[in-house]
Amino acid sequence: MTSEPGADPATGTPLSVRGVSRRFGSVQALANVEFTLEAGEIHALVGENGAGKSTLAKIVAGSIRSDSGSMSLFGQPYRPTSRREGAAAGVAHVRQQLSLVRGLTVAQNLQLGRPGAPAIFNAASARAEVERWSDEFSLSVPAETLVDDMPLAVRQQAEILIAVAWGARLLILDEPSSALGPLETRALIALCHRLRSEGTPILYISHRLPELAELADRLTVLRSGRVIVEGADVRAADLREVATLMIGDVSLLEVNRPEIERGTSRLTVNDLSVSSTQEIGCHGLNFEVAGGEILGVVGIAGNGQDSLAKALTGQAKLASGHVVVDGEDISGSARQAIAAGVAHLHEDRSTGLAAAFSVADNATARHVRSGRFTRFGVRLADKIARHAGELVERFQVRPPDPAARASSLSGGNQQKLMAARELEKNPTVLVAHGPTKGLDPEAAKAMRDRCFAAAQAGGAVVVISADLDEVSDLAHRVVVLYRGRVTDAFPIEDMTSERLGAAMAGLTETMGATSG
Amino acid sequence: MADTFLGGDVGDAPPEPLEDEGRRLTTSLSTSCLAVLIAVVLGGLIMLMSGENPLTAYTAMVDGAFGSKFALGETLSRAAPLAIVGYGTAVALRAGLITIGAQGQVVAGAIGALVTAQFFESAPSAVAIPAAALGGALFGMAWVLIPALLRAHFSVNEILSTLLFTEFAALLIEYLLNNPLKPPTAITPQSDPYPDNGILGLVIDGTRFHVGVFVAVAIGLLFVWWVRSDRGFSYDLYGENPNLAQSLGISGNRVIVNSLLISGATAGLVGWIQAAGLLQRVYVEIASDIGFFGLVVAFLGGATPGGVLVAALLFGALQSGGLAMQSSEGIPASLSDIIQALLLLGFSIRYAPQIIRLTRGVMANFTLIGKRRK
Ligand SMILES: Nc1ncnc2c1ncn2[C@@H]1O[C@H](COP(=O)(O)OP(=O)(O)O)[C@@H](O)[C@H]1O
Ligand SMILES: [Mg+2]
Repeated sequence: MTSEPGADPATGTPLSVRGVSRRFGSVQALANVEFTLEAGEIHALVGENGAGKSTLAKIVAGSIRSDSGSMSLFGQPYRPTSRREGAAAGVAHVRQQLSLVRGLTVAQNLQLGRPGAPAIFNAASARAEVERWSDEFSLSVPAETLVDDMPLAVRQQAEILIAVAWGARLLILDEPSSALGPLETRALIALCHRLRSEGTPILYISHRLPELAELADRLTVLRSGRVIVEGADVRAADLREVATLMIGDVSLLEVNRPEIERGTSRLTVNDLSVSSTQEIGCHGLNFEVAGGEILGVVGIAGNGQDSLAKALTGQAKLASGHVVVDGEDISGSARQAIAAGVAHLHEDRSTGLAAAFSVADNATARHVRSGRFTRFGVRLADKIARHAGELVERFQVRPPDPAARASSLSGGNQQKLMAARELEKNPTVLVAHGPTKGLDPEAAKAMRDRCFAAAQAGGAVVVISADLDEVSDLAHRVVVLYRGRVTDAFPIEDMTSERLGAAMAGLTETMGATSG
Repeated sequence: MADTFLGGDVGDAPPEPLEDEGRRLTTSLSTSCLAVLIAVVLGGLIMLMSGENPLTAYTAMVDGAFGSKFALGETLSRAAPLAIVGYGTAVALRAGLITIGAQGQVVAGAIGALVTAQFFESAPSAVAIPAAALGGALFGMAWVLIPALLRAHFSVNEILSTLLFTEFAALLIEYLLNNPLKPPTAITPQSDPYPDNGILGLVIDGTRFHVGVFVAVAIGLLFVWWVRSDRGFSYDLYGENPNLAQSLGISGNRVIVNSLLISGATAGLVGWIQAAGLLQRVYVEIASDIGFFGLVVAFLGGATPGGVLVAALLFGALQSGGLAMQSSEGIPASLSDIIQALLLLGFSIRYAPQIIRLTRGVMANFTLIGKRRK
């Protein structure tokens, strides 16, 4: 696809963002952002989860609009109103969730929706084009393999290749390395360097600082929608300082953290490894949690948290190691985990509840197949409704109507309903994955109180979260996950931005953290 | 698609609100009623266009379906197998599985019943009849076993595999009835007559009301129990949210295999009823279209006990009424076929999003097969 006349890539700064702001409801996702992408550079955009990186990328790509501010592209005023317009101007945006059609081949994806593509798909020429680009960049992207059958790293290469083939003059990669292994990341870096040398500037979004030193020329730090550092030279920058800047001040807010008596060890995680095709998995984790103790597992989302949550609740097949609750090995059996009193607050309410089922069915679902509330194998609807009514009362689910559909409740009440199901009895182990995520302050407080209550009743509590405030509010002790490994572990009193930042960004040597 | 450039942004948007309908495959009563209404009205319009009086036609149809002892017997005997297949399919549907292999399982069940009955040819009826029923059910289950295992262990799309097994069944029966099972004297492909001691008698003489109707009632009662049972609930839970079900200790593989086996067993029973009750011999066309209409009945009935029953009666009535209409008024019975087809269309609108999603999945599988073959 050809570029607009008059927009000569040789002249004009590739991208200049001036005073761009964007608000989502009450969240100021971007505030007065100033940013410049120079010709021939790879510019890293770093920041914590929710810093606004993807929002900025989407504004540049045209898929969402800014509330105020202006942009220019290769010296021309640039006001895309859609992704299509952004693409026509030469901006390619490769998102974290890759967007190739999985049931088609790369060649088919190349032509699908391509501006100016002929109405009839010409398989031979599409294949030839994929092969040509693939050779050009020394990749091995197969033209006629289904996207479904390709490893993630190759899919990503295919997507970049398609962007280039479509005539991208500026490439935005949003967290491209988050699901890649070290070797694949190296290949990606090589590809980026190659593109840079061909004259395509790249905006590269990442949390992973170590790879940036090798990859990028300059670096911009975003925190809570504001630019903290603009365009620093990566080679001259102190990455530890950058990591600290990303996080900002971690203050131990004086939440009303109740005094909790520490018991003996209840949860032991021993050499735990999970391999996952979906995410990074986890590797060789060791830790113990005592009764009455709240362990915070922090890390940027996608560093093995899902696998850990699944492993601790018996839902994941372990590649190695054991999860032991009160001396009983519950590894790989959700049934045993439940019998051992393990409770699980799912991160995502859509996986944690049966949306189309009633409040009563949801509240009592933990008893399924236990023989409770049944006679001759038939569920006793009255008993279930009565019991659910009590639970809903106790956990203050509004409206307290056992017959209502779960999907009709607000987010906070859905979370309370999930808590009612999981915390009916005091758990031996509570795995709370993002327990206050997306909740209003009242509901968030209610969930924090549930976690404290579980600990006070002698349970071992594991709070897994990408939200540092959530962890610092709750935890007594912290372990940091990076790429599925523990990079640091310390009591909450020792938590500093420097230490946390370094461990979360992968600047700390992996350690076999064992502490109790 | 190369959405790199185009299309909506699904990027890192905040979590979506809980989707009410989620993966639900079951319809609500109102959509089903609407579908029926649309079909009746459109059917009437078509009759008008072809110069028939819709009122006369519908009256004749209702009369032919319910107006006499014979008519009622005919309707019930046609509704019974549809209901049985419908209940079995509903169990799978509620567990989130779309099996469309009932047709082949009916065929397999008929073969199973015949072979078993021939084995028990000299046994008393009290042994031969239940044995043949069991044989039919087991063959029906066997016919879905491989798709079930493939789905459970390799996530192979059950729609495709069950359909494929229906083809296998069609080929198998054609072979059997032309070769080993064909009596030397027969000219067309067919089996020996079904052994006398295994025949299901007619309940009311002068009608075609046979024992299969009672089997349908029994299966219906079992399905009512299933829907209210704790085990049934766990299967429904899996259908609604497999992740949650598994986190609560429900084995997904077991749900998949068992619910498909249940659907296979019911379809197999229908094969037995067809062979032992209605036709008393096995023909290539033994299943007529029962398997396929049984699926429609399950969908249209929203996979609930009452819904499936009503839908089966509706289709039974349409079929028997259509034939009666033809003989009494000379209006072609194919008009009733048209109404059945309209019904299908009418309620498939409700499923449009699911059907589109499915078609995509199936297409993906086809491309896969195409690729693998190269
Ligand atoms: N479509 C949206 N609706 C509401 N809030 C959003 C939307 N997109 C992003 N946000 C919010 O804006 C903030 C910045 O999000 P995002 O740009 O995705 O962060 P990052 O990519 O740096 O992790 C977050 O608080 C996020 O919840
Ligand atoms: Mg993002």
